[in-house]
Amino acid sequence: MLVSIKWLGRHVDLEGLSPEQICEDLTLSTCEVEGLEPFAPHMASVRVGEVLSRERHPDADKLSLCRVAVGDAEPLQIVCGAPNVDAGQKVAVAVVGTVLPGNFKIKKSKIRGVESRGMICSVRELELGDEHDGIWVLPPDSQVGSSVAEALELEDWVIEIDNKSLTHRPDLWGVRGIAAELGAIYDRPLKPLDLSLPEVGSDAAFDVRIETPACSRYMGLVLDNVAAGPSPIWMRHLLLAVGQRPIDGLVDLSNFVMLDLGQPNHVFDLAEVPGGVVVREASEPCSFTTLDGEERALQSGDLLVCSAEQPVALAGIMGGLDSRVGETGSRRLLEVATFHPATVRRTSSRLGLRTDSSARFEKHLDPTLPAKALAHFAHLLGEWQPDVSLPAAISDCGDWTDPAMEIELSGDHVRRALGVDLADGEIRSILERLGLACSSGTGTWNVAIPSARATKDLTLSQDLVEEVGRIHRYGNVPEASLVADVVPPPSDARRNLVRRVQDRLAGAGQMHEVMSYSFQSDDLLETLGWTAKPHVEVVNPVAAGMSRVRRAVLPSLLGLLAEGRRQSNDLRIFEVGKAYVPNPDAVDGQPIERHEVALAWAMPCASPDAAFDDSRLLHLRGMLQDLFVHLELEAPIWTLDEQAPSWAHPARALVARVGDSEPPLVRLAELHPEVAVALGLEGELACDVALAEISLDQVLGAPQAASAYRPIPRFPGVKLDVAVLASEETLAGDVQALIEKAGKGLVRDLELFDLYRGENLGQGRKSLAYHLQLQSDKRTLSDKDCAKFLDRLERGLRESGAELRRS
Amino acid sequence: MTDLEQILSEARAKVAAATEAESLRAVDREYLGKEGVVAGLLAAIPTLEPTERRAAGQGANEVKTAVLAAIEERKAELAKEALSAQLSGEGFDPTLPGVAQRRGSLHPITQVTRELEDLFTSMGYSVLDGPEVELDHYNFEALNIPSDHPARDSQDTFFCDPEGHLVMRTHTSPVQVRAMEQLKPPFRAVAPGKVFRQETTDASHEHTFHQMEGLVVGKDISVGHLIGAMKTLLRGIFGRDLDVRLRPGYFPFVEPGFELDARCPFCEKGCSVCKRTTWIELLPCGLVHPNVLRMGGIDPDEWSGFAFGLGLSRLVMLRYGIDDVRHLLGGDLRFLEQF
Repeated sequence: MLVSIKWLGRHVDLEGLSPEQICEDLTLSTCEVEGLEPFAPHMASVRVGEVLSRERHPDADKLSLCRVAVGDAEPLQIVCGAPNVDAGQKVAVAVVGTVLPGNFKIKKSKIRGVESRGMICSVRELELGDEHDGIWVLPPDSQVGSSVAEALELEDWVIEIDNKSLTHRPDLWGVRGIAAELGAIYDRPLKPLDLSLPEVGSDAAFDVRIETPACSRYMGLVLDNVAAGPSPIWMRHLLLAVGQRPIDGLVDLSNFVMLDLGQPNHVFDLAEVPGGVVVREASEPCSFTTLDGEERALQSGDLLVCSAEQPVALAGIMGGLDSRVGETGSRRLLEVATFHPATVRRTSSRLGLRTDSSARFEKHLDPTLPAKALAHFAHLLGEWQPDVSLPAAISDCGDWTDPAMEIELSGDHVRRALGVDLADGEIRSILERLGLACSSGTGTWNVAIPSARATKDLTLSQDLVEEVGRIHRYGNVPEASLVADVVPPPSDARRNLVRRVQDRLAGAGQMHEVMSYSFQSDDLLETLGWTAKPHVEVVNPVAAGMSRVRRAVLPSLLGLLAEGRRQSNDLRIFEVGKAYVPNPDAVDGQPIERHEVALAWAMPCASPDAAFDDSRLLHLRGMLQDLFVHLELEAPIWTLDEQAPSWAHPARALVARVGDSEPPLVRLAELHPEVAVALGLEGELACDVALAEISLDQVLGAPQAASAYRPIPRFPGVKLDVAVLASEETLAGDVQALIEKAGKGLVRDLELFDLYRGENLGQGRKSLAYHLQLQSDKRTLSDKDCAKFLDRLERGLRESGAELRRS
Repeated sequence: MTDLEQILSEARAKVAAATEAESLRAVDREYLGKEGVVAGLLAAIPTLEPTERRAAGQGANEVKTAVLAAIEERKAELAKEALSAQLSGEGFDPTLPGVAQRRGSLHPITQVTRELEDLFTSMGYSVLDGPEVELDHYNFEALNIPSDHPARDSQDTFFCDPEGHLVMRTHTSPVQVRAMEQLKPPFRAVAPGKVFRQETTDASHEHTFHQMEGLVVGKDISVGHLIGAMKTLLRGIFGRDLDVRLRPGYFPFVEPGFELDARCPFCEKGCSVCKRTTWIELLPCGLVHPNVLRMGGIDPDEWSGFAFGLGLSRLVMLRYGIDDVRHLLGGDLRFLEQF
């Protein structure tokens, strides 16, 4: 909202206060000031000139050659194209060097061969209105040579206030309300304003009928003998200062009253409401064309002002196209009403039609304000058009009550809540300055809340604490320390787990942590064939195809792979996050929340003829195993994933479980080749991608491993390597079991270090090579023990169709 | 000086003068060789009077031992010199870089969140969590924002069903009432997390960002306590005292409500971060509205409290000088690698 300081000055004396000071004080006591700008700053350099002579341009019929005095020694020669320019006029002159709105710099120029040293301006060129059918003729008493701003008293500053900070203050949606705040801050009284109802004639009041509870008050005033024409210049300039385009005298007046007192109002041509006014709710969907020419689809319940049956305005929001004031008759009806905030708000939100009027109604306006606004309108109109008459009694109907009330407040409450030692007298004085009268008494008073503050804003004693605090200034509240028992706060197991997981993955795992959006695109989900799965969906996404809330974290990483691979040949990323699955069984409708860690590791593919198996899958499995050791979890059991998700290579997918946990602790797989292509991982970006998702919920419930310490062996062990030649079908786990069996409990530190396939081994054969150590707790092992172990192993392997490779 | 002393002194001088293995060997030969000085001395013994033989033999041996020791000592010296000459002769390029280590990283939001969590837990706050897909009840109703309340406008809510029963939480404040239901007063808690606003994104606006909610409930909690706690918080974040100012701000779930501004830590006269005001708007806060306490099952006549909402994403941007909020959730490796 824009507020003019000059306008404020109509209501409170701001003498001796700089615009900056006013902004600072409003900020610290009342609301958020977003900006301060001079009004029409260019006007300071536009000068009052007097046209000394006007001749026709020698080479152009429509141009005039003017000599214009601007207060300098020599008059200026200016070529002017306006038809209304004439000798003797006082005009607005932009001399050479002046910059007009739109960064239009006035230069010395030649127009059709004749030199011109400036420009005589129209109102529109100065952005002071729409008139552009000629130059702006200034009042004859304007001082030649002075700036137009000075001569016409245009100097003003405009404060921009954040509307959000006024949400709870309907009283501040009018200039007088802000002026009252400044009055309280500076302890200066509001200037008196005549808000008594005007004298009216004896005709019967205009017929108004309210058929809905959504209109608590409707006042109507018939205006007769209204003349067309522009509003007074002072009013136009104030409107311009706050960004309101002057339109027409009565419309301007209506706007002015709304902005001045915060009470929207509407002027109908009386001919538009021949059958009297009915305020009602639309009973069925219908369409209505508003003043801006838009056809609006109305629903039942929308609030309408009608002439008999015919809607003429969308109540509290905008008039109808047919009810435009201006062109026709001299008899008007002024409407000043109180409409139900939520009803106005619902309609205006639904239609996307927010107006100055609806913004005010939805804040819960004071129902006593219509009478004041009506009076203000009538007095201003009378000053401007003394011939206007008010022939009929004022219509005033509706089931409203004055919300003014009292709140009990104790000085102790204020002191306790603010933490500041304010005397009762100081508290009372602040409240009184704010127009909140206190009853006499010591310690506890009844504070009278006037209707303007009572509709919603001030309802509790806490609200009054705020009133005292903000005027006293929070900067004057001394800092205090919290006092509490010294006990450690309860720790959160999941948060601790997340930290350990993050640290291990980013540290030992050398992975980068990412955080992604919770929305996953339909395109991505389409790639996974997941669009049919139930998702939590937002009904108003930021973009089409971005409505689904993720039901798993992992797909969020898939979208990052192609770009990540462009940046790095060894891409390792993980994300800790939440996922949501709709839960039709939940009474409150809340979805199931899953806490997950997703991991992705991508590297260029091994060459197709590489003999060694070095897949990312096994590397990532190693990283996960390390993580579980780090987390001191019991080692889970890894098996093929019978229900591999669609992102997984169907044959290269594993799950890790402790017991029969569902979901598993971990799903681990290679990226499905088709999905890889769909994600753009082909050609140069083709790569070996391993993916995993960890269920943090399952990890939290998983059993902890027993103490990790084993006594250090007393006897030295024997290190040896063995290589096993086996058929392709043989499982590494079976070979490992054979080795352990042959070791009779002596095998330690068994590690597969090479998995090799090659022509020299023959088709369908592979070689598995292990490091291991034989160790006994009872004695030092000898070469003989080694030889016996190898013999047993050789026999055992042979019985299983494999063989020991003797070097 | 006796002859023997003379011999020994000359030998030592020669040993000391030897500067390489070869010349040292020559000294060795001259004194200790078959034809050497010591051999000469020993050979001369039989020619002496029997009474002198013993002493002469002893003297010759002493010379032998002493010369040998001097030679060995000198030999070790020379070897050391040779090694040090050899080592210092090995040229080494001091500008060769260390072998690159791959490193992982924690997201800057994680890092700043942890810092704050640690700060708060050190002051006795619990760290709480709440759902991102939230009931309208907790996101709005229980926070004193009934439907049709104009304050809902500023929230730009993502609705998860046409009735607006379920929403993407627009702030971390719903954890306030969840905390009240869960904890017995007095208590202190913070709740970091993701929040959502239905708005067009640009360098300074995101539809998804992070906040941290704080809530303190106790006896006679005052605005003074709030100011004290916020100053402590800022000291923890910025590592020094920053001027703060509290100005009125409207949030339906607090009464009174404030915006807390801190003196811009980056400038003295105004910069782009503080939009040339020298103040940066850091956090909305206030005393918990009695209606909200009641919604959380806490008697406002007995207990009071304060709450604050810290813009984590904004704080991360301030901390690292990040100029575009979209980097935070964009997943660009070139961004992540920097932390």
